[in-house]
Amino acid sequence: MSVHTPIETRPGLPRWAVGLTVFVLLVGGVYAASNVSGTNPPILGEPSAGASGAVSAGAALALINKVSPSCTTCHGPDLAGQATFPSLHGLQNGPTVDNLKQLAKDHPNDWMNIWIAGTDPAVSDPAMRKGMPAFGGPPNNLTPDQIETIVRYLLTLK
Amino acid sequence: MTRKLRPYDEPPKARRSLLPTAPDSAATLFLAVAILWLVAATGIGALAQMQRAFPDLLKASLQVPLGPGITLLVTPATTTPAFVDALIFGWLSNAAFAAVCFITPRLTGTRLATDRMATFSLLAWNAAIAGGVALLYVKGASGTAALAEFPLPVKGLALVGLLGVNAVFWRTALMARGDRYISLFYFGIALLALLGLMALSTVPAVISLGATNDQVLYAFYARAVATYWVLGASLATLYYLVPRVARNPLYSGGLAWLGFVGWLGFAGLSAIGALVDPSVPYAVTSLGTAGTLWLLAPTFLAVANLLGTIRGRWSLILSTGTLSFSVVSLAFIAATPLLESVGALRSVQAWTAGTTWPMGVLVFSALGGATFAYYAFADHALPRALHRAWSESILSDVVLWATFVGTALAGFAMLAGGLVAGSLISQGAAPDEVADAIRWIQLASAAGLGLASLGALALLVNAFLMYTAAPLIELSVPSSIPTSATTSAAAGQ
Repeated sequence: MSVHTPIETRPGLPRWAVGLTVFVLLVGGVYAASNVSGTNPPILGEPSAGASGAVSAGAALALINKVSPSCTTCHGPDLAGQATFPSLHGLQNGPTVDNLKQLAKDHPNDWMNIWIAGTDPAVSDPAMRKGMPAFGGPPNNLTPDQIETIVRYLLTLK
Repeated sequence: MTRKLRPYDEPPKARRSLLPTAPDSAATLFLAVAILWLVAATGIGALAQMQRAFPDLLKASLQVPLGPGITLLVTPATTTPAFVDALIFGWLSNAAFAAVCFITPRLTGTRLATDRMATFSLLAWNAAIAGGVALLYVKGASGTAALAEFPLPVKGLALVGLLGVNAVFWRTALMARGDRYISLFYFGIALLALLGLMALSTVPAVISLGATNDQVLYAFYARAVATYWVLGASLATLYYLVPRVARNPLYSGGLAWLGFVGWLGFAGLSAIGALVDPSVPYAVTSLGTAGTLWLLAPTFLAVANLLGTIRGRWSLILSTGTLSFSVVSLAFIAATPLLESVGALRSVQAWTAGTTWPMGVLVFSALGGATFAYYAFADHALPRALHRAWSESILSDVVLWATFVGTALAGFAMLAGGLVAGSLISQGAAPDEVADAIRWIQLASAAGLGLASLGALALLVNAFLMYTAAPLIELSVPSSIPTSATTSAAAGQ
């Protein structure tokens, strides 16, 4: 073990440090004072790591709210289902509705991606989709990456 | 009478144990594991950026025959969080724990309390992080909130490891007598903050708060991890290294305390700025954004204090070593809050949300500021822990320049990509058009992370060569050069 030698410190506080601190506090204070009233947008992800736009729940929620019609319009504000529209919770073990059982059997890894995109001929029949938009096509044109973001989020809903 | 020594009479040759002997064994182990994590993290990061540039070519989905529905996915949606988690929890956290174990005894003049506890913490923490990162690739096994994706059992194991490190630190720090140096305060708050935040991130798994409240909580958590843990532990390490290596007293004790108090308050306030949701009052979010602006002050004060400490020793930064790594770290640390402040403004946030801008800021913060602080720490600590000298090869230069150029390239490319994508999205461009427009920028960021990975690999090889082939040396703790009567010998005053 090395000998303990404390690190020496010069006492005192330079004046410029006080000036800099006051200046920064003033700038921040002016910003806060001029942004008192308004409404925040829906949460869009975490500044520190939601960078890719495709990894965070915030990014998924942003997509869910952004597409037209929004997922919550039909499936309810908590995506727990409403009226004839099924719940999007508990999809970890497969679909909860009969018209998707065969799709899940044929594509166990990515049946949700195919269903949300709706551009695959196997699931593009309007009668089978029962009003579900094909989000991979116009006007939303979600990319496979964006759909994967939504799928990952939906799989977390227990 | 003399007797010829027969072979079987010879005393056994001294064998080097695989693990270095105490008191620095815990620090060495944490650092060795951290370097492995850095190689992995930068490699995964480069892969993630390549996947973003060529999503169709580099996407893998693998059905594992372990049970029904177990699918491994290697897509940007899994590799990007794996990169961030491996970087923050794998590399930076292990390196910070190593710094805690190495620096605390030297500042308190006591041995590290409970070496076994430190080793146990290392096992628990790394088992949790490795398991958590692996589960990110299993479809449906992890959450999607940034830095909080791990399932509850994994977080529980990580909390056990974190409790152990906290116990080791506080027992050692509280045993000290007399004045305590500023690094100990930064370490103490940073460790407690990470423990509290990690516990906070488990709340949504235990109590149902609703989907939106969960995301609000996670947003606070992720931002606070960056401000309290990543920034705090880096500054603690640099406050120890720079005066030690420059052999100057710390430039100003008052500056150090003003910076510390500012960081303590504004780091938390800045995290409130991440609560961007209609459920949070607008004025509260604005105050949080102001907190991000205010965080500029303590960060700049700390950087200025440490640069002032190098006065008269500037020639030391011309050669690759602890001080040159520290100066690069300070440059990135100074740049980060500027970028964060700009990005926190509502108009900019609306422009860059969902783009690569925040990831660019993260690269500057974590792969720039914090990583170079721990490079400086490794450069200083490994020779003292292993009693061996660094090799005279070019590997140290490769570590410095490959990581510096790679981090700058990746960071600037991601910031530029974010601005371009934000501009195109605001003009109503389709996702495919945006992807095409920023493909070359994404390739540049992949190349940058690849270079950083090369730097990490060079550090790993250099450390391995030191352990296996370098001659034994003994380094003493440098004493400060006598200075004027105004110098206070009591650190931290």
